[in-house]
This record gives sequence, structure tokens and C-alpha cells, in this order.
Amino acid sequence: MGKVAIIGVGHSKFGKRSDASLRELAFEAYRAALGDAEIESKTIDASLVCSATHYDKQRSPAGVINEYLGLNPKPTFNVEAACASSAVGLRTASALISSKLHDIVAVVGVQKMTELPNEEIQELMGRAGDVMWESPFGTTMPAYYAMYATAHMSRYGTTEEDMARVSVKNRAYGAKNPDAMFQKPILLEDVLNSRMVSYPLKLFDCCANADGAACLIVANGEKARKLSDSPVWVAGLGLASSPMSLAGRNGPLTSFEVSKKAARTAYAMARIRPEDVDVAEVHDSFSITEILNYEDLGFAKPGRGAKLLKDHETELGGKTPVNVDGGLIAKGHPVGATGASQIATLVHQIRGEAGKSQVDGAKVGLAQNIGGIGMYGCVTVLKA
Amino acid sequence: MGFEKFGKEGYVSQTKITPMLSYLKKNQLPATVCQKCKRTWFPPRADCPNCKSNITEWTTIDGTCRLVTFTEVHFAPPQFQSDTPYFLGVAELKGGFRVFAPISGKISRDMLKPGRQMVLRPTTPTADHTYYLLEEL
Repeated sequence: MGKVAIIGVGHSKFGKRSDASLRELAFEAYRAALGDAEIESKTIDASLVCSATHYDKQRSPAGVINEYLGLNPKPTFNVEAACASSAVGLRTASALISSKLHDIVAVVGVQKMTELPNEEIQELMGRAGDVMWESPFGTTMPAYYAMYATAHMSRYGTTEEDMARVSVKNRAYGAKNPDAMFQKPILLEDVLNSRMVSYPLKLFDCCANADGAACLIVANGEKARKLSDSPVWVAGLGLASSPMSLAGRNGPLTSFEVSKKAARTAYAMARIRPEDVDVAEVHDSFSITEILNYEDLGFAKPGRGAKLLKDHETELGGKTPVNVDGGLIAKGHPVGATGASQIATLVHQIRGEAGKSQVDGAKVGLAQNIGGIGMYGCVTVLKA
Repeated sequence: MGFEKFGKEGYVSQTKITPMLSYLKKNQLPATVCQKCKRTWFPPRADCPNCKSNITEWTTIDGTCRLVTFTEVHFAPPQFQSDTPYFLGVAELKGGFRVFAPISGKISRDMLKPGRQMVLRPTTPTADHTYYLLEEL
């Protein structure tokens, strides 16, 4: 791949944004990213609008968002990979730039979820899995991840308290992030006493549906050096797939094969090892997912993920600080925006602009984003 | 009868493997067999991803299995809310086939553990619904 860098990032406030429409959320992040890159719209060659479009009232949202951003007649299209949409958007932008089709691309991750009536969103969530073989039995998003939790608990002795530690850690960091949906720290007993959603996952083990947007301005090496004093380089891109049906997957269901495979590809491309990662953003859609991610990314051996938490190794000051912006658990999870939000956090970290959550001297960042119930896995490595 | 009758609430009505429902109604667990590469498929499928053949041959399989994992759903999609809490599980049958299925409510949560021996049994609770269920052996 040719040299590709991120030269600007923008982020809206995540949460219940009853004050803003889908296009207005996208605009907030886009305007902030242009400001960060110190460029005008005329410099952008194309936009990639990344969202899980089944949540959108607007059909084919790239059309209306590109119009609202004032980018016609420049090329635009939607990128959809469920919760990994904008991480795959960055991959797509990198390919478009490497192939020299475009020099500078805006990746706009956006989702408006809280506008949908609860019933409708629950019905949609019920169809998150294989609609032929699994949804007819009453599946939910938490149920799928809960099955990984049950398997991990049984095989490795991971406890509900171990999982609760993820939520406590991430909510504490969310309290330092003004863009996070939840700004209040919580205690271990708050998680353990919250109501059961899908055994063993309770309410505070789960991320929340949210509205929000994040935008990345991606450029080729030459333009990046010309336009930016501090480009952040896309060093590794890994993407893999697993069967969408849970019954189609092999093994004890204690790890996500998509993450392992995508991580191997990204590490090899970036020529780094897990221990070289200074700061990581991982997909904590549920508390158990973060523990599995530690193991799948090679931060811990299989079954040892919970120990990293107990040893405070994934906090600021630890071996590999993870989700120091609050993660999905504190920021909320506006599906299409999450991948770009993770990347935006890493860009701030690598530029040394992460304020209270800055990891000292961060030069290598890793983002891991799982799509849906684990059918897409995306790992991105960024370098200073 | 359309395939929407598979499960408690079906979403797919049209498929090439609709004959599956008549097997379930006869208390049999159906699978398909690729005539060319002889591989058996469960859940049944109409197309062989190995040799790309169209599969039309049916067989039945044994429901003895081991639980791989499970959950107990408390917060459900609207049409399932009145059934909560209910169990869902993944189990591995003889021959390595895996199945995603509801687990009988007659079992208590403490009894469920990955590795536990169970049996997958066809069930037709109403004329409009037929599927399979994981039960105690």
C-alpha cells in the first residue's frame, strides 16, 4: 500500500442527541475535521458515508449527507459493515488513495439511533443474527455476546466481577471525555446489581445505543506532508470475516477468530508486535468483549484477559492502556460512527493532544472494531 | 407450508429447503447430502459450497449432542418478550454438526454447563410452528 495518513479528525458529542438530525450530526464531525486539518471542502476529492443503514429513515444516506456537506458533484457512497462501518471506511479510503483514484477522502461515520421507537430498535436488534436459522428463536445482540461470556467463564473461570471491572474502568475514563454519553463513574456493585439483560450480561455490562458522528480526513503521503505538520500514518490494515451464524463457527466460542486473523494481518503489515502498541481502542460492545479482545489481540494469553484488568495493566500507566476515552461502554455506540471515533482518539493520542487521558509518549496506536455479532473484524494500526 | 413456520417467529418464507418442515413434523431431524461430494449438511442447505452442486437428497441425523454454550434471555425482541426468561444455546451433534436452538425451560440454569450432554428433539407445538429444541438426555 502507498503512504496514507490521517490529517484531520472531528467528533460530535455522542448520546441522545434529540437536538440534531442525521445530516446535522454528520456536519458537526465534518466541520470539526476540516477545522482540525485546516483545509476547505474544495480540497476533499470524495466522501465515504459509513453507517449501518438499517437504522436510518433516510434510504441511501450518502446521497443526502454528501449534499448537506456541500460536496456535490464529488463522488460519494455508503460503506456498511455493521458496527465496523467506519473502520472499513478508513480501509476503503486507504485503498482509493493508494490506487491514486483520489488524493484526499473524508470518511464520515454517523448514526442516529435514539429517534427510533424502542420497539422498532428491539425488533431490528432481533434480526442482528442469521434470520433463517437463529433469529426465529428470539436472539438479541447481548444474547450472542453473552454466549461467548458463558463459554469463557466455563473454560477459564472468568467471573461476572471480572467483566464488571471493564465497565468500571471505561466509565471512569468516560467521565474525562466531554464527548462521551455517560459522564459519571460507576462502582463494581452498580454493575453487579444492574438488571439482567442476557445471562451473564447485565445492563451495565452493555454499551448503549446512541446518536453521533466522527469524521476522518485521509490523504496520500505527498498531500499529507504538504498540508499537515503532524500526519498520523495508517501503518496496518487487517480485516477478516467469520460465519454470521454462531452455529457456523468452530471451537469453544471463547475468542473471536475475526479479531485474531485481522490482528495478524495488521501487525504484519505495520511490522509490530502486540507489545509495541502504546495505546489501544478496542470494541467493548459488552464488558466480556474487551476481555476477549485482550486475548485475541495478543495483549494477554488465552484465558488471562481478566488478569490484565486485575493488575491494572490496561489503565493509564499500565502496560497497554485500553479505551482511555471511555470505549463504547461510556461513549455510547452510534454504530456507524464508532470505528472513526476510535481512530479519532488514537490520532489525538499520537499527536499528544489527549489531555487528561494522554498516554505519555504514545507513538503506536491500535484500533479493533468488531462488526455485528462477530462476522467482521477490523484491526487498524496507526503510527506517528 | 412456507418456511416462516420454522421457529417461534420465522422471517424467511421462501427457500429451496422447505421440505425440512415435513421431516420435523414427523419427529425427524433432517439434513441434506451432496450427491457429488457425499458431504452431509446440517442445518440443511440447497447448494454445496465445496463442489457447487445443487443438493436435492435428504437424510436424517441423530440428535445426541453436547452443549457448547448458552444464555438466558431476559430482555427480548418485542414478539418474544412474553416468553422471557428463556434459554438459547449452541450444541455440537455427532458428526460435528452445530446447531443454534432454544433450550427447554424445564431445565434450571444451574444445570446448564458447556460440555453437558443433551438431545436435540423436533417439536411442533402448534400447527403453525415447527422447530427443534435442546432437552435433557
